[in-house]
Amino acid sequence: MHELSLARDLMGAIERKLDRGKVRVVRVSVSVGSAAGIVPESLRFAFRVVCEGTRADGAELSVTTIAARSRCADCGIIFEFDALIGRCPGCGRLGGELLSGDEMILRTIAVADV
Amino acid sequence: MCDTCGCGISSVRTIDVNERLLASNAAQAEQNRAHFAEREILAINLMGTPGAGKTALLEAIIAKWRESRRILVIEGDQATDRDSARIRAAGAIACQVETGLGCHLAAHQIHDALHHLDLRDGDLLFIENVGNLVCPALFDLGERLRVVVTSPAEGADKPLKYPPMFRAAHLVVLNKCDLIPHVPFKLDEWTDYVRAITPHARILKTSALGGEGLGELLAEIDNVRQAFSANIFA
Repeated sequence: MHELSLARDLMGAIERKLDRGKVRVVRVSVSVGSAAGIVPESLRFAFRVVCEGTRADGAELSVTTIAARSRCADCGIIFEFDALIGRCPGCGRLGGELLSGDEMILRTIAVADV
Repeated sequence: MCDTCGCGISSVRTIDVNERLLASNAAQAEQNRAHFAEREILAINLMGTPGAGKTALLEAIIAKWRESRRILVIEGDQATDRDSARIRAAGAIACQVETGLGCHLAAHQIHDALHHLDLRDGDLLFIENVGNLVCPALFDLGERLRVVVTSPAEGADKPLKYPPMFRAAHLVVLNKCDLIPHVPFKLDEWTDYVRAITPHARILKTSALGGEGLGELLAEIDNVRQAFSANIFA
């Protein structure tokens, strides 16, 4: 359940960004690579828990999954996939060198004045 | 119009952030790494399945090297100090981190543990992570070398089931290799799966108890240590 650590980290980043502003957080959007090993539902659950009693209590967390890209170790084709691991569409070889897809990024915070 | 419920109150505004998550862990890890480089301390993050033999491998390494070098071990477990007691009994210096509900070690825990260790220039520092093939893969600790330990009884398809962990590894160790004839495990299949996930990682077979492959493992660590030192003084 590393999503709990991630949710705490996310909360820390939000607090740093908002500083002492008198706002409440309405929505937070993050994007994660499909190969990062983040379960969006677990992250949303953990985020709901860490937000309790804070100014982000009840905030919606939107998680966008970004396709990952690998280079096939056999034929060198670069291909996209929406999972932890992909299969080369050219030769059928599994896996390959991951070029992108393990990123976890806090995109936006939507706030309302209180 | 309000984009939350359409109520007509235009008080919601969106702040663009675009920052990586775990940035604070990454910053602490970089601080740890700089500290290790400054003191020429080779830090190795040992990850893997519970029961793969991580602690037994450390005991075997300590038995070979305890006369010739200073070895320190940070032991991460959810509970108990059993592993740090084993490390001390084997002849190295140990510090136990009990993670409680935490399923992995984070960079700040390594920083905190360093305050409890008498670290000297040139030391060899092992960090035995919490036995877990999922969470530790995401958390940089400031190590130079990441080793993933697995064993035959777990099955050949572990790399396919836990890709981020094997992708994170510089070195993949199949420990308890003396079990291969006794369990349904195909070495070729396992090797293919490791290669599929991580085309460049080194792969070694060891038996912590029987001694097979330990020489290669020690040589591998020595190679990394030499490259590390050469890099520092370059």
